[in-house]
Amino acid sequence: MFLENMIKIWQRYDYVFINGLFGTLWLALITVVVGTILGTFVALMRLSRSKILYAITGVYIEVLRGTPILLQLYFFWLLLPKIVPITMSDTACIIVALIVNSSAYVAEVIRAGIQAVDKGQTEAAKSLGMSDRNMMQHIILPQAIKNILPALGNEFIVMVKETSLASVFFVGELMTAYKTVQSTTFLALPSLTIAGLIYLIVTFVLTKLLKLLERRLKASD
Amino acid sequence: MTKQVQDQVIIRVEGLSKSFGKLHVLKGIDQHVNLGEVVSIIGPSGSGKSTFLRCLNLLETPEEGHIWFDGVDIADKKVRNARRFRPFSRGGVIDIDKHRQKIGMVFQHFNVFPNLTVLENITIAPTLEKKIPKAQAVARAEELLEKVGLLDKRDEYPRKLSGGQKQRLAIVRALAMEPEVILFDEPTSALDPEMVKDVLTVIKDLAESGMTIVIVTHEMGFAREVSDRVLFMEDGRIAEEGTPEEIFGNPKNPRTAEFLSKVL
Repeated sequence: MFLENMIKIWQRYDYVFINGLFGTLWLALITVVVGTILGTFVALMRLSRSKILYAITGVYIEVLRGTPILLQLYFFWLLLPKIVPITMSDTACIIVALIVNSSAYVAEVIRAGIQAVDKGQTEAAKSLGMSDRNMMQHIILPQAIKNILPALGNEFIVMVKETSLASVFFVGELMTAYKTVQSTTFLALPSLTIAGLIYLIVTFVLTKLLKLLERRLKASD
Repeated sequence: MTKQVQDQVIIRVEGLSKSFGKLHVLKGIDQHVNLGEVVSIIGPSGSGKSTFLRCLNLLETPEEGHIWFDGVDIADKKVRNARRFRPFSRGGVIDIDKHRQKIGMVFQHFNVFPNLTVLENITIAPTLEKKIPKAQAVARAEELLEKVGLLDKRDEYPRKLSGGQKQRLAIVRALAMEPEVILFDEPTSALDPEMVKDVLTVIKDLAESGMTIVIVTHEMGFAREVSDRVLFMEDGRIAEEGTPEEIFGNPKNPRTAEFLSKVL
């Protein structure tokens, strides 16, 4: 009976789930990509010798990692329309919130990746008289990327799941797709199971791909 | 080979002190290095040899004292912080990176750049920091690689090199910046015994060509052979200094004699 319902729902509403899945992947991707750019700046400020920048980024990271992501979504959803001169859709507010949240986690990933590069590399570059900027760009970051990439992949997988919170604001993604189907069919559990299976398949595949990437990065050492 | 040690002082150190927390590593060092001179620093581990050497290009920042290089006190705090972004501060216009370009350094653990090829390891600093045209930098790098027998490795990545080859690459990398002095920090301590000789030969050739060298080493035979002057360090001070003949043949300080009896 349950399985029958699931099959029926899928036959009827498969496009809703598929669209939802693309929404989820798109949200996660844009969040991690822009979050990485923002997070890189946060990490570099965190590592700079300026005590002020160190303190500011410290608070930034603590606040974003120390409060629930759902709270942050509400916060940006309420705040942004008030302070931004252009009209922002709910989706835009949620994307900004997700990006800001992700940037805090990514900043820590990047900072750890940079600090994991052998200190001798910094000393060698400094002893040659290289500027901080050239050293970072040509010596440290290219080596840090190997530490950072797998962790970024992980952040993407985490974001695939975290973006489900956007359904609270009816932003188009997989969990919102479930809500839509549920409210038209009144078959909550089978719809939810379908959404869950899709999440599981996607994260499973992504995890396998990530393992593959990690192995290839190791092989090039 | 003729070589001359001139009377021109290239590095002068006055009252250099350095602590790591409560550990007082350097306790006031006064020294100088002349142009073209080869100075070996020997002594027991923990005596501050490497720290002293690393202060000379400010990889360690001394708490007290002066390091005069090219007529500038590079240990001056204003100089040290010149690279910091401080839009409202005056002074501090001397750039420590520019000074480091004239002070080469070779490390115990080579510290070659694993993400760059052998050739790129050598050309990266000259092209980026001294704006030397790529072709010219490559030509110079190849010339230097030829001298140390690594020209056939030019397009390899360092992971394919042996320890001795990595260290020769590190020496060439330092030389490519055309430094006025090169600091060697135990350059053969991390090498397999059969690789030591190759590296020492390169350093010896360099010494004979007139390069100014300061070397921290445990290779007593080498120090005796190539040095113009030997410094014996103990407990953060220079306990004795002299020509190799004086230090190795007739040490005046009983601590020097005791140390040499253990290592020779």
